[in-house]
Amino acid sequence: MSSQEDGAAEPGPDTVGPSSSSSSTDNDATTGDIISVTIGATVPTGFEHTAAEEVKEKIGVDARISKDRGRIYFPITTDKLFQVHLLRSVDNLFVVVEEYDNYQFKESKEETLMELQELASKLPWTNALEVWKLNRTFKKKKGYRKGGNGTKGKPKSEAAGATVADTEQQELPQATSTVENQTEESVPEAESDTQDSVEAAPRAILIKFRVTCNRAGDKHSFSSNEAARDFGGAVQEFFQWKADMTKFDIEVLLNIHNVEVVIGIALTEESLHRRNISHFGPTTLRSTLCYGMLRLCKPQPSDIILDPMCGTGAIPLEGAIEFNSSFYIAGDNYDMAVNRTVNNICHIQKRRADKGSISGLPIDTVRWDLCSLPMRTSSVDIIITDMPFGKRMGSRKKNWDLYPSCLREMARVCRPGSGKAVLLTQDKKCFSKAISRMGGLWRKLHTVWVNVGGLHAGVYLLKRTEAVFGQTPEDVYESREELWFMYCFYFSFC
Amino acid sequence: MKLLTHNMLTSHVKGVTKGYPLLIKATEVKMNEVEFNPQFVSRMIPKLEWSALVQAADELGQRQDLPGELVPDYEKNEDFLKKVHRLLLEVEVIEGCLQCPESGREFPISRGIPNMLLSEDEA
Repeated sequence: MSSQEDGAAEPGPDTVGPSSSSSSTDNDATTGDIISVTIGATVPTGFEHTAAEEVKEKIGVDARISKDRGRIYFPITTDKLFQVHLLRSVDNLFVVVEEYDNYQFKESKEETLMELQELASKLPWTNALEVWKLNRTFKKKKGYRKGGNGTKGKPKSEAAGATVADTEQQELPQATSTVENQTEESVPEAESDTQDSVEAAPRAILIKFRVTCNRAGDKHSFSSNEAARDFGGAVQEFFQWKADMTKFDIEVLLNIHNVEVVIGIALTEESLHRRNISHFGPTTLRSTLCYGMLRLCKPQPSDIILDPMCGTGAIPLEGAIEFNSSFYIAGDNYDMAVNRTVNNICHIQKRRADKGSISGLPIDTVRWDLCSLPMRTSSVDIIITDMPFGKRMGSRKKNWDLYPSCLREMARVCRPGSGKAVLLTQDKKCFSKAISRMGGLWRKLHTVWVNVGGLHAGVYLLKRTEAVFGQTPEDVYESREELWFMYCFYFSFC
Repeated sequence: MKLLTHNMLTSHVKGVTKGYPLLIKATEVKMNEVEFNPQFVSRMIPKLEWSALVQAADELGQRQDLPGELVPDYEKNEDFLKKVHRLLLEVEVIEGCLQCPESGREFPISRGIPNMLLSEDEA
């Protein structure tokens, strides 16, 4: 990390000041010399380590987990840049322009903002802009998918080219009812729109940009709004780019977390995280969160993996694509849910067929009642699901009755000894209580605390005990009174 | 519905003790190509009820020369594994129903989705 004072730079887009990262010169732009940069990635909070694991596995480098939750950083060389788009656990990617570990903000707001403005012309933009250019070529080739449209409202802009987020980096809210009404495939339209605008922007002449500022911490004298506005203004003047909130080529990120300041350039658009889903439901999970949950349970070849409350099928579908040597059975009691799941599966299969690959996925869909699963006892290796939250679906009272019955039924179908469950729930109290009464069938191995649509939730990794179902007091006797009686009876013999 | 799924499904109508395997009555069947993974198939075979798979294949007229009993050393027999792969993953029942062998209750299959919901009095 460098200090605030950087080398001086001349203004203008092509003659940005000397870079502070490794080996390049200003003129290696189009010759394809390999340069080394730092990539930042936002990941679902709680799954930073999982994401770092994936980076190690697929890119072969060690990632650093930021104190700012939900972010990891790792080095990469431009010849390997395309690999970042193979990562399934990241929501958004950006290339770091500069990082400050311990930025000393000035006392007054005026001085601080002035300094931010001065910063714009001093930053080592060259390498990051090269990476941004290189990254654009991948998108054009891939026919980049945009995911669901309008899944969240964009914040109102206060000034040209600036946008704000005053709180800590939040996960994007879940699909709203506007998206639910989209029954057609919105994806192909979205693709062509964005590609058109990218093609249309002539490169060196009129680059459009915006600044997104995320600020967290209680000792700052300024708001993210103000920082974005002033920094954005200085960037605009320095590069002579045009500020545009919605149709921009370059998104400059200004992330301020206490004394940690990171300036970056986005490599992905925001709506990437629901990559597999074209038919949304009210509570569709991000694919990155699904991937994190799947990695947690380490699917093995030939594992039978069940999602008994699949909703739109986000979890099993991600599994069928990324961990495709297992078999997925997605089930739900709601007819719209199973229909959406099948639609999403068909959409992916068609996309694969269009690319000339073998399209069939190892996944099936059933309509069922999860408290009475029509499955053979001990036939399932892994159960992975998003359990209904009291606030978004179901109710606290319903969960009180639902959780014990479904945990019991899941224990029945799950293979004793080797079986596992990965369960996401926001109703931690109800869940913990239900699990504590099932010690004979389920053992808690690990919990990951996550943030889903602004709600704090837990992902519980459970192990199915060796006990055969039908022989522990929990599964034989359903009511508490009977259970209590049974224990008394049993212990009176000891 | 794939036959691998069918192999796990059972009737859960109240009072039924011999609800497995469900009988398949198909009115529409499709083939859907899935990538062949020999390790997947050979590890899956021990988890299956082999006779139920054979019966299901028969009901769909897809049995071809599948043996009624498992042959020894099947793990190395790629031809055999390919046949099993095809049956487990590539044959799909799109329309029809599954029937409980004991009670006769029929569970409809539509768009490839079996509807296993029971009514209040059946559960």
